[in-house]
Amino acid sequence: MEKKQPRRHSFRDSRPHRWLAVAVGVVLALVFSATAYAQQAQISGTVTSAYGAPLRGVAVRVQGTEIRTLTDQNGRYTITAAPNAVITYSLLGQRVAQRGVGGRSTIDVTMEPIAFLEEVVVTAYTEQRRADITGAVSSMNVEAASRQTSASVLQRLDVTVPGVTVEASGSPGSRSTVRVRGVSSFQNNDPLYIVDGTPVQDTYVNWLNPNDIASVQVLKDASAASIYGARASNGVIVIETTKRELGAPRATLRVRTGMATPVRGYDDILLTNTLDYFRVVKQSYDNAGVAIPAELTAIYGDPNNPTIPKYMFVDNPAIISKDAFGRPVNVDESKYSYPDVLIMPASAGTNWWDAVFGTATIGDYNLDIAGGAEDNQYGVSFNYFDQGGTARFNGYKRGSARVNTAFNRGRLRFGENIAISADRANGGIANDPGGYAEDGILGKNILLEPLVPVYDIRGNFAGAKAPLTGNQSNPLKYAQARKDNFNRNERIFGNLFAGLDVNPNVQLRSKLGFNLAQRAFSAFNPIVPENSEESLVNSFNEENNQYRDWTWSNTANINRKFSAHTLSVLLGQEANQTINRFLTAGISGLLNTDVNSRFLQDALGDAASKNVSSTGWQTALLSFFGKADYNYADKYVLSFTLRQDGSSNLGPKNRWGTFPAFGLGWRLTQEPFFANNKLLSDVMLRFGWGVTGNQQIPAGRVVSQFGGSRGDTYYDIGGGNSIVSGFRQTSLGNPDLKWEENRSTNVGADIALWNGRVNVVVDVFSRKTNNLLFNPPIPATAGIADAPIVNIGKMENNGYDFSIGHRSANWSVTWNGSHYSNKIKSIDGVTDFFYGPITTRYGNQVINKVGFPIGSFYGLVADGYFPNAADAASHKTTNGTCAVKPCQDGAAMGRIRFKDTNGDGFVTLADRTVIGSPHPDFTSGLDLSARRGNWDLSGTVFGSFGNDIFDVQKEFYVFRNFSTNVRKDLLANSWTPSNPNAKYPRLDVTDNFSHQISSFYVEDGSYVRLRNVQLGYSVPPRFSRWTAASRVYLQAENLFTITGYDGLDPSLPAANITGPAGDIRDQYRGIDRGSYPSNRVISLGLVTTF
Amino acid sequence: MKIASKHPLIVGTASLILATVAMYGCQDFLEKAGQPQGTLNEQTLLNKAGVEGSLIAAYRAVEWNNGVGGAWGNAASNWVWASVTSDDAYKGSEASDQPPINDIEAYHWSTADAESYLNQKWRGTYEGVVRSNATLRLLKQIQAKAPAELSTADAAGIEGEALFLRAFYHFEGYRMWGSVPYYKEDDTDFKKANDTPADVITKILADLDAAIAKLGPAPRNGQKGRASQWTAKAYKGRVQMYAGQYAAALITLRDVQANGPYGLETSFDRVWTGFQSAANGPETIFAYQASNNDGEPNGNDANFGERLNLPHGTSHSSCCGFHQPSQNLVNFYRVDAAGLPLSISNPANWNASNANFTATTAVAVDPRLDWTVGRDGVPYKDWGAHSPAWIRAASYGGTYSPKKNAHEIASGAESSVGWVPSQLNSVNIHLFRYADLLLMLAEAEVEAGSLVNAWNIVNQIRTRAGVRAQGCGLPPSSEAAARAALVAAYPQCASDTRIAVPINDPSITWATYRVNPYPVPFASQAAAREAVRTERRLELAMEGQRFFDLKRYGTMVADLNAYLKGVGGGNERARRPYLPAAEDPGAKHMNFPIPAIQIELSKVGGAPRLKQPTGW
Repeated sequence: MEKKQPRRHSFRDSRPHRWLAVAVGVVLALVFSATAYAQQAQISGTVTSAYGAPLRGVAVRVQGTEIRTLTDQNGRYTITAAPNAVITYSLLGQRVAQRGVGGRSTIDVTMEPIAFLEEVVVTAYTEQRRADITGAVSSMNVEAASRQTSASVLQRLDVTVPGVTVEASGSPGSRSTVRVRGVSSFQNNDPLYIVDGTPVQDTYVNWLNPNDIASVQVLKDASAASIYGARASNGVIVIETTKRELGAPRATLRVRTGMATPVRGYDDILLTNTLDYFRVVKQSYDNAGVAIPAELTAIYGDPNNPTIPKYMFVDNPAIISKDAFGRPVNVDESKYSYPDVLIMPASAGTNWWDAVFGTATIGDYNLDIAGGAEDNQYGVSFNYFDQGGTARFNGYKRGSARVNTAFNRGRLRFGENIAISADRANGGIANDPGGYAEDGILGKNILLEPLVPVYDIRGNFAGAKAPLTGNQSNPLKYAQARKDNFNRNERIFGNLFAGLDVNPNVQLRSKLGFNLAQRAFSAFNPIVPENSEESLVNSFNEENNQYRDWTWSNTANINRKFSAHTLSVLLGQEANQTINRFLTAGISGLLNTDVNSRFLQDALGDAASKNVSSTGWQTALLSFFGKADYNYADKYVLSFTLRQDGSSNLGPKNRWGTFPAFGLGWRLTQEPFFANNKLLSDVMLRFGWGVTGNQQIPAGRVVSQFGGSRGDTYYDIGGGNSIVSGFRQTSLGNPDLKWEENRSTNVGADIALWNGRVNVVVDVFSRKTNNLLFNPPIPATAGIADAPIVNIGKMENNGYDFSIGHRSANWSVTWNGSHYSNKIKSIDGVTDFFYGPITTRYGNQVINKVGFPIGSFYGLVADGYFPNAADAASHKTTNGTCAVKPCQDGAAMGRIRFKDTNGDGFVTLADRTVIGSPHPDFTSGLDLSARRGNWDLSGTVFGSFGNDIFDVQKEFYVFRNFSTNVRKDLLANSWTPSNPNAKYPRLDVTDNFSHQISSFYVEDGSYVRLRNVQLGYSVPPRFSRWTAASRVYLQAENLFTITGYDGLDPSLPAANITGPAGDIRDQYRGIDRGSYPSNRVISLGLVTTF
Repeated sequence: MKIASKHPLIVGTASLILATVAMYGCQDFLEKAGQPQGTLNEQTLLNKAGVEGSLIAAYRAVEWNNGVGGAWGNAASNWVWASVTSDDAYKGSEASDQPPINDIEAYHWSTADAESYLNQKWRGTYEGVVRSNATLRLLKQIQAKAPAELSTADAAGIEGEALFLRAFYHFEGYRMWGSVPYYKEDDTDFKKANDTPADVITKILADLDAAIAKLGPAPRNGQKGRASQWTAKAYKGRVQMYAGQYAAALITLRDVQANGPYGLETSFDRVWTGFQSAANGPETIFAYQASNNDGEPNGNDANFGERLNLPHGTSHSSCCGFHQPSQNLVNFYRVDAAGLPLSISNPANWNASNANFTATTAVAVDPRLDWTVGRDGVPYKDWGAHSPAWIRAASYGGTYSPKKNAHEIASGAESSVGWVPSQLNSVNIHLFRYADLLLMLAEAEVEAGSLVNAWNIVNQIRTRAGVRAQGCGLPPSSEAAARAALVAAYPQCASDTRIAVPINDPSITWATYRVNPYPVPFASQAAAREAVRTERRLELAMEGQRFFDLKRYGTMVADLNAYLKGVGGGNERARRPYLPAAEDPGAKHMNFPIPAIQIELSKVGGAPRLKQPTGW
């Protein structure tokens, strides 16, 4: 809900003169108050909401006079009025109430919430009445969103805004992938965020304290968003922070502390007993007819009677004698010497999950103070947020302060909104892993065998050093060694603004927004003598990033009203520049690994290894825009937008793009034939069409670039270990680069039923992206220089979204749902596919293919198992053929049988096909709240349906690649002749075929999750001696999840991956490579006002 | 205007807005921000430094791991393509690591995994071509616009070297795929169809001839990494041999032998070494010039493509145990009482042993065995005695370690940066060495019927092989454990740091080394052919030539089936648990399949221009 700024609103409600009069009147009233009050009586009372809660800040006014006041924290007011006067009560979001005094001295009022269409929302450069909006605009339910614990407000969007999906990991302070109505491009699909009027493109937005947020509007279609033309292609999210208000200073303290645990752990999935694990291993050798290798008998002894040895690994010099199986039995532990001679005990069952993951604490503390009068308003807030990671040694902390002030001097209005924030993420766990995720804690490292102990005999970390026990790193060591790694961000974000009311119909405004950021990153890599692939050299690197972005916008608003015709025109101009500079440096062989010695100085490490480099980019945008809104008697609404943008990223000839849009609205219920309909109290039909643009590609790609680096183009041509510089073309330019265009059509309806008790919003949309900016792969014969970015591709999204809400005095419910279907229509006009950006151990599992959604899963189609040896033999490819088609390499009983999809009689790569899609068919949020007396209960449920998950972890916990731990049910549920329809193929150590990328890895990722539930109690004033109003609550997040997904957590983050044309995470979503699971958070909170 | 005089603020604001528009309205604002940051442009390179730098980058691509998604498929030595696929070596390591090479070793070359490696090689190969052509284009531009920028000699040298490199890279493509498209500097269509193998050869030879005409007799600027006229001539002979043009090859190779600057190293240990003093010796025709600790933070300039191919476990390098010599190869080094290859004198039984061939004096071997293969009990350069604890998974990859690419600890060739720095070194990778050339010449002599010439060459090689054998190589004191273990096993080594010693040195108690020249000329062309081919394997084993050689001989299908199913009394299918699942090599394996993605990317109007080699 929007907080109205009285002054700004004044000209929009078509009663400008009255407001001017109010301003003058207030002054007069103050001057003559003594006289005025003398003739009248005091009236007092309490204003409450329909739910019974006291309403603060209600403007109470004596009609026909300039006498006014505001209600206090308890909803109480006192005003002086004549016995026959009429008093009006107004508050944003509530229907204005009027009461005749009628000689009473006490008047209590219950206000009704305002109907949906009467809301006023901040959209583009200005505010609009909901009834004047013809595009698809959804508001976030700020209250529902506040029930979630996250560093970023972005992670709270999806539950209450239909058409928006959000993906994020459970790592504290993690990145968010917000998508509005699908995916419109191969890269860079983040929406544009407008924070207090300043545009920002950022996937974290962690610097913005979620508690400062007053409203979030999502502009989903082009007719709403095209006023932000240049960058609006992926939707626009308009965020307004809490603004000052009228009244005496009021302070609000919000405190929340809680405990987080992972929603699920790998110990729910994996074996934790060493001998159970060996049974799986043995079965896979036995089935293959291969003897248990000596490396394993040297651990377990007699395979038929395996035992846990005393030692899992002993370095040679410490071994005195071995038993018949080669197990060290007599060991001289005094020979232990780190890092050269290591001795590790064997574990009867290490629970690696337990070693690394556990409970974390969360604290969120806010204090804000706001107040003001007619000529000045202010709001100041402070926040400290501290979220521990459920994985050990990682966490996120943020401190921020915000100052919003505004001054009115006659017709001039000026002020600023500024937030400063400093945050720090600790630890070495990437919150969304990038390329080779398996080497992080959550990839394969956490899948270490239960045999491996956490510590060796001297308390140093142990590892999988014995042969055939894997090449993972000890995940706890990994975390512990990187506990002082940090990623620190400091940010100043805000704007200065000035506005002038030239006359009641014309307003001028100028706003200078800025976004100044500095990021420091420091990472240490330890020696790992305990690893099978050991390394004895440590290294350290650090990064520094300076970012500066400013936006200067100037607008003029002109409003005219002639009888039933209302016309408002907005004209504007905007300039934006972004400069980024990035420095990275490293050194290895630190002599002292202490955190205080992690600097880049010759003396601190191996001076010869010290290296440094920097990069940078800059972009600029210049824009002119106009918007005209016409309203006839609240019946017909017409809006037209035109924006022109010039981008420095594009070719000089095509730099400027024009983005038109129009919208039509018809408020049926204003028509005589529809008037006074009992069921349909308000019906507005909307149609919108428009074009938005995208130019978000790396700067400078218009021209070809050349460069070089020591590891790529430099060469020791003289043969003396000294390299000579070399150059190559690093990217191919395209001087004709032009705007990517997104044409969207939206048809919608806003319907209020039963006098606004039920509100329904339905939208159907089609979004077509043309001239998609993208670097389609080029033949390798053209070299490895980054392919030119071209404008050829096409993509389409169609779908619908809706929201149905009901509100009554004691309870409310909102249900929203959305669907989109994404389809690639064209890539480069010639080839019809290209692979996703990441390959895993067994290859590529993602394809972008014409006719299918972006980031589709790709592979063979698993079709059960070969039922018996004879059948398998008949299909087995031998000398290029087989007895019974289709022929399959390595066919054997119990192995996965793949479909010959192209019918050529052979199972080959040509049989790969699209085997799943990460895109949900339907996502839905359900928000409920109820109140009884001082108690309130609210909760949200979120569901995602029809999305698939590609579980890469099966490479490990099913196929045991690299001797990882395996699933608990692997032994029981693997194929045997008596279990022909088993969940897993036959355990077979020689099976190099079943693990091929196929639909075997794909699972339904649908889930329904109770995102949060909150029970609150408003402390009656009589119990709170020191505070005027306070509320305490207990809340739980992610309490339960219903899913058929077999992995850790169906709610997955997208991969953190960037290509030469920018952020390409949409080509790698829905893939479980070991992601930080969501958190179950139980917290206790207090909100108090004083 | 009344409002203007009454309200200076309005006027002020309005003029401010106008000023803004004026200020930013000019294209300059966008133009300035549109400049790329931190890059070079074509103009900056239009000079001597630019074209020389471009040429350097073209050389760099001979062993280069950036931008092709991994490096093992693009290793200069071709160990994946020509060693693991042959009877020389197994993939090694453990089953789970680098699964694409499992498929390659098992001749399952059309899997997605294999394709990912093939695509690395394809991309690396053509990147070399692209860089060579970029140099030629840049040269032309400079000569047109600023002819004074380059001396005639430099211009000719740059052109000749670039042409040589272009031929070199296309030859790599030819060895892999046979039929590949040939790209020249003026090509702009990068979706060309394959040339026929014959056409590829013709074009390679044309480029080499052009290079020979431009290049001087010695590497330009005295820089040993550069190609000279003789490098180009040597390659011409190699290409002619690959094309089966024996008569022409004979002329070319004899010319290099008689008039070229090359000669054999005095002893075998100086051929593959980290000691700078022996780098780029007389035997080097063309080598990847590995360098380390040169400021590159990840060791990418070092011997990156071989980094996995060192002993694992408690060895000095500690990782990663790939490219393990086969039992067949180890057996192949056995000699008879006369010091001649057992495989020739006892064809039925030379390969019968399945046992781990550890240190013993009971079985005589060619001393090259212990320069090529790390085996238990035998000192491994100066790392101490090879131990079972150096093997990652003997049950999978066997008990032997590769050795040629390993550096001597004392050589200082080891990197100090990168992931596991001890596996990165500056041992140059021979891409073509004189012994290789001589043995090719011997083949050509055999085909020409000049058996005595061939006999002489083989004996020259064998004589050199008999100069030095692995010595104690006492590890430096920093390697206390390895040092102690070596001395415990061989007390005579207590202070003997000699890595190479005469083959009959009394310190050698781990082996009996014997290698003698063939006493009489070969009796027949067939015998000569066998002796030359045998010698070639013994000399060049593990150097990434074997599979290509077998293809050249036309015996690949027969030899590799024999390797798997039985030769000399042993078969590899019985030795490695995963080889029973290997496909039988057939005619289609004469060429690798072209990566499917490249065929897709060659589409014009819906139809791919590139075609797969026969059988794929």
